[in-house]
Amino acid sequence: MPKVLVPTVCPYCAAGCGFFIAVEKERATGIEYMPAHPASEGALCSKGNAALEVLYHEDRLIHPLKRKGDSWTRISWEEALDLVARGIHGAMKERGPDVVGFLSSSKCTNEENYLIQKLARSLGSANIDNCARLCHAPSVVGLNRTLGAAGMTNPIADLANSKCIFVIGSNLAENHPVISRWIHKAKDAGAVVIVADPRLTHTSWMADVLLQLKPGTDVALLNGMAHVIIKEGLQDDLYISKCTSGYEALAEDLKDYTPEKVSEITGVPAGEIIRAARSFAISPASAVVYSMGITQHTTGTDNVQAVANLALICGHVGRPGTGVLPLRGQNNVQGACDMGALAEFYPGYRRADDPETIRFFSRAWNSTGLPAGRGLTATEMICAAASGEVKAMYIVGEDPANSDPSSNFTRDALENLDFLVVQDIFMTATAQLADVVLPAAAWAEKEGTYTSTERRVQWSHKAIEPPGDARSDLDIVCNLAQRLGLDFSYAGAADVLAEINSLVPAYGGITRERLGDFGLVWPCPTAEHPGTPILHSQGFKLKDGRASLGPVKYRPAAEDASWEYPLVLTTGRVTVHHNAGSMTRRSPSLIEREPDLFVEINMADAAKLRIADGDEVTITTPRGETTANARLTDSVKRGVVFMPFHFPGTNILTADVTDPEARIPEFKVSACRIARRN
Amino acid sequence: MPVYVDISRCIGCRSCEVACKRVHGGKGHVNVHMAGDRASVPIFCHHCEEATCTMACFSGALYKDGERTAFAVEKCTGCGLCRLACPFGVVWTDKLAHKCDLCQGRETPTCVVTCPANALSTDFEAASKRARTRAALVAAYGGRV
Repeated sequence: MPKVLVPTVCPYCAAGCGFFIAVEKERATGIEYMPAHPASEGALCSKGNAALEVLYHEDRLIHPLKRKGDSWTRISWEEALDLVARGIHGAMKERGPDVVGFLSSSKCTNEENYLIQKLARSLGSANIDNCARLCHAPSVVGLNRTLGAAGMTNPIADLANSKCIFVIGSNLAENHPVISRWIHKAKDAGAVVIVADPRLTHTSWMADVLLQLKPGTDVALLNGMAHVIIKEGLQDDLYISKCTSGYEALAEDLKDYTPEKVSEITGVPAGEIIRAARSFAISPASAVVYSMGITQHTTGTDNVQAVANLALICGHVGRPGTGVLPLRGQNNVQGACDMGALAEFYPGYRRADDPETIRFFSRAWNSTGLPAGRGLTATEMICAAASGEVKAMYIVGEDPANSDPSSNFTRDALENLDFLVVQDIFMTATAQLADVVLPAAAWAEKEGTYTSTERRVQWSHKAIEPPGDARSDLDIVCNLAQRLGLDFSYAGAADVLAEINSLVPAYGGITRERLGDFGLVWPCPTAEHPGTPILHSQGFKLKDGRASLGPVKYRPAAEDASWEYPLVLTTGRVTVHHNAGSMTRRSPSLIEREPDLFVEINMADAAKLRIADGDEVTITTPRGETTANARLTDSVKRGVVFMPFHFPGTNILTADVTDPEARIPEFKVSACRIARRN
Repeated sequence: MPVYVDISRCIGCRSCEVACKRVHGGKGHVNVHMAGDRASVPIFCHHCEEATCTMACFSGALYKDGERTAFAVEKCTGCGLCRLACPFGVVWTDKLAHKCDLCQGRETPTCVVTCPANALSTDFEAASKRARTRAALVAAYGGRV
């Protein structure tokens, strides 16, 4: 049998790199690169290179399972779907549809996300969300408000045209490695790179100006830079008067943020703040790249607003080489949000609290009783489960027991549910708490579209059959919906995409037929439209076509070092692992390179605590404690420690305080103490 | 056609390690060495002009084939002298010797294609020109702003 090369999209981060899976005798036997790909030029990071290792892993779920005491019993699909339908229906019948929470997955295709939110809402439950809540909810809220669209404004490859790249709160060299390729291209052409991060990361190796700020002080830093720009008259007055509103109020508010004062708050020397501000403002095209270092704070939405303010006052939006570039984490987190798997938005970012939205979708879905208003967010669902307001949950491809803050609380909350269904490819920590576990197909075993961080919608082909009885999420959701009395008769992903085309304006022209090798970039409203790689070049989709500037006040993080908890813990990722790690920790060539949980401690702090490199230490916060291996370094400042969140221990420690608007937990700042274990 | 490394570009992502191991049946020939927390560099066969491994190899398994330091596995006795002779520690003996073969049979070595940061290349002229241009730009900008 000949070797066939099947084009797919990488299942890890949101850069959207494509690669071919070589299939021989119906088995995936290898990876071939895709040098023509516009975002990656054929490159793949270590995770992408190891992607096939999870497909044939012995831990794959291959049968539906039912809990029986402490063990599991294998059941048929018929029985499993009946059980799930009965569980959901039973809970809803007793206490109304809002007692059921749905978590959709930013690992699933657009079509699957669309169907899962349609299922939840058709059943009358407003409680639908996805893990974007834990990474870029503030970008969705903040950028929709200031720029009128939530997404990267410019494509990844356009970074090469930039003359100044300001990376804040993103370790892209480890988490989105292919993006560094474009930054290096820009550097070759003389671009200045500014990196702001509490740690010296691999990304900081690229920096010309390095701003090592204290965790949680981003607003102060960004305001300080804007202050310098306005004070020195480097702002783009023409752009401000033509394209923005609210400048006067912002300029007035920024007067307080002198470099000296900001230096005191952030710990960054005043001279460096001025240098960074000048470089950013005077360059002909500057881009701001940010990620979870900006969003995972109680001030996440403020941080995003401050980032947008900085770009807008310099006029660095809407042209090649400029823009506000949030780098998203999961392969389809952009798509999951676009498809309305969010508590506050229906598909296409139509507000759930707008009666017109409800009328529109009632007509489109031929449904009565669609829920109006915002539902519970992912984090709120967990709290509601703990308090008993939510009785049942249907979780698709997410692992809140590992990925949500304060894991002990999350675990108790999930155990408190009357009925929990988890649909995944592995037995995750969350699945272990479930009543019914449904085996799903991985990305290579199904087809559909994924939207990468640059808004590129790409079709990923099916390479192989799912193992055992596992089925694609699309099949499972359709079958379940039919059992719950809904008409979900779709022939396949292409059929669902056609419905999306008719209901989500930005996806109007992104039809199956037009999705060639490397997809299309939304907004693409009509079948002739070529797609829109650069947003906001013709004004903004807001009132008067103007972007809205808004002053943001610096608020300290919810927790700070104290006598009892003298260190500040910040979390992040390492290059060979991805998010909660259910895939990468099962991938032999990745886990062997980073096998254990570690904590980075500054040498001076470690000396005081009598901790040596490699010692086993206990890290304690008010939420709980965990053990890790100490890694002594000077890449974190004194008073700051860092842990990756790919291992089950880390989120036991993090706090569940959230941003008041976007409801994202503050993963990046928790007060802790550390002691050596004896 | 050896592979050249632009150390200023390496981001320590280790994809060359994983990719090399993947295409060589589980035996990788690249190690990414971390220089503290400040830099990283992939280390693999330099395909030396005067390759000490070929001098040590009495069976003729390691030999120069143009620019390439080639390896004929059928002649290898597994004695391990090449491992001792290599000054860079990039020839291994795991029963038999194994080292970088520049991905024979592929158009471009896998590590070069997969490198996300473009730190690896097979074109010496391009690699050195890039380094020179960058150095000149830094000088021209006077240490930048």
